[in-house]
Amino acid sequence: MFLSEKDKGKKAIKIVVAGPYAAGKTQFINTISEIETVQTEAKTTKDSEKSKKSHTTVAMDFGRIAIDDKHVLYLFGTPGQSRFDFMWDILGKGMVGLIVLVDSTDPSTFHEARKIINYFETRYPVPYVVGANKQDLKGAWSPEDIRISLDLDEDVKVLPVVAKDKESVKKVLLELLKEINKVLESK
Amino acid sequence: MAITGNLETFNFVDIFQILKKDRKDGILVIETGSKNFAVYFKDGDIVYIREVPKVFYVYLDIDFSDVMKKEGLSGEEDIYRALVARLPILLSLKKGKFSFTPGFIRYSDNIKPFIPLEKIIMFLSRHLSKDEVERKISDVRLIFEKTEDWEEVAQRANLNETEQKVLKLINGERTVEDIKNELGIDLFTLQKILYGFLASGLIRRKRHKKRKLGFDLTKGLLSRIIEKIKGL
Repeated sequence: MFLSEKDKGKKAIKIVVAGPYAAGKTQFINTISEIETVQTEAKTTKDSEKSKKSHTTVAMDFGRIAIDDKHVLYLFGTPGQSRFDFMWDILGKGMVGLIVLVDSTDPSTFHEARKIINYFETRYPVPYVVGANKQDLKGAWSPEDIRISLDLDEDVKVLPVVAKDKESVKKVLLELLKEINKVLESK
Repeated sequence: MAITGNLETFNFVDIFQILKKDRKDGILVIETGSKNFAVYFKDGDIVYIREVPKVFYVYLDIDFSDVMKKEGLSGEEDIYRALVARLPILLSLKKGKFSFTPGFIRYSDNIKPFIPLEKIIMFLSRHLSKDEVERKISDVRLIFEKTEDWEEVAQRANLNETEQKVLKLINGERTVEDIKNELGIDLFTLQKILYGFLASGLIRRKRHKKRKLGFDLTKGLLSRIIEKIKGL
């Protein structure tokens, strides 16, 4: 796995933040990362994408949180467009948990979110939570309706989140860590 | 909270799935540009479909008895006749905006839905496009299991012979590919059936009993991560 120069010799713990295009993955990582998120962005080219944002992630984003002298937590953001889905596999290997973000105001992207969940669930069954992002915006679907729309069971946490808000992002991460803890407890 | 969107990217099966699962009461409004429909729901089932010249007309009536008066409906038989006449028109719509207003309309106890929504969901699923089925059944490695009340749902869904055969094979072990091979049916047909099963609440994605971590995490290290995140 990629390690930055100052992290060499440390063990990297990986959490992946996935989700459809413009779900707010880069923002989510930016909000919590101790370093400025390393981004691999390019200008959006398709008209449908330009209407949502001017730049998009093409390989991955990553943020970093130092845990102690020996460990560092990386948050990897996957590219949202399906033409870059080969990156999902690369990023999925070795992760301890997954956060799937959806734009609660855009139901046209829920299908893509379901595909992403299907992909990771069949290959890397790690603990995961769903973040129903943009809950502060008008027209946001409730987490409960998003759960049904994504065919998720009651045991999968669908959490309201505003990716710009640090406390909100922390809450999602902590809920994921609780899910990871359940796996450790059951060992 | 809102349940709004566009029929081009969120079809009737998807909408009905949400309304059915939560057994919602309320009014689903469809605006196509040239026509407006109000679909009245009780306990997650369709009670009546009304065509209105302007959307705000829908919100002038808070009691279903007023809707009946305005529509010239004298009883159950009239409601049923109008419903079955308008249902195919509604279900043929592929474009338009939708919005669901929960609650709002009051029903008397004697107003009961005539057609189970599961039956409509299965009917619509048989006519889905390849692009649509890919949205839910995107991977042949997916494994499904039956829900707790699958027998009751299956009765309401009015399954055809092939659908019944598929349902029999769903056991929380077989993948989509296994079922396709065992029955010798084409993938597209199977995807449509599974899409309908998922939306009607017959099946769900198999729950992973044991999740795995891709890193040898200890409880102590996890505690340190939690403390670090809390302190950020």
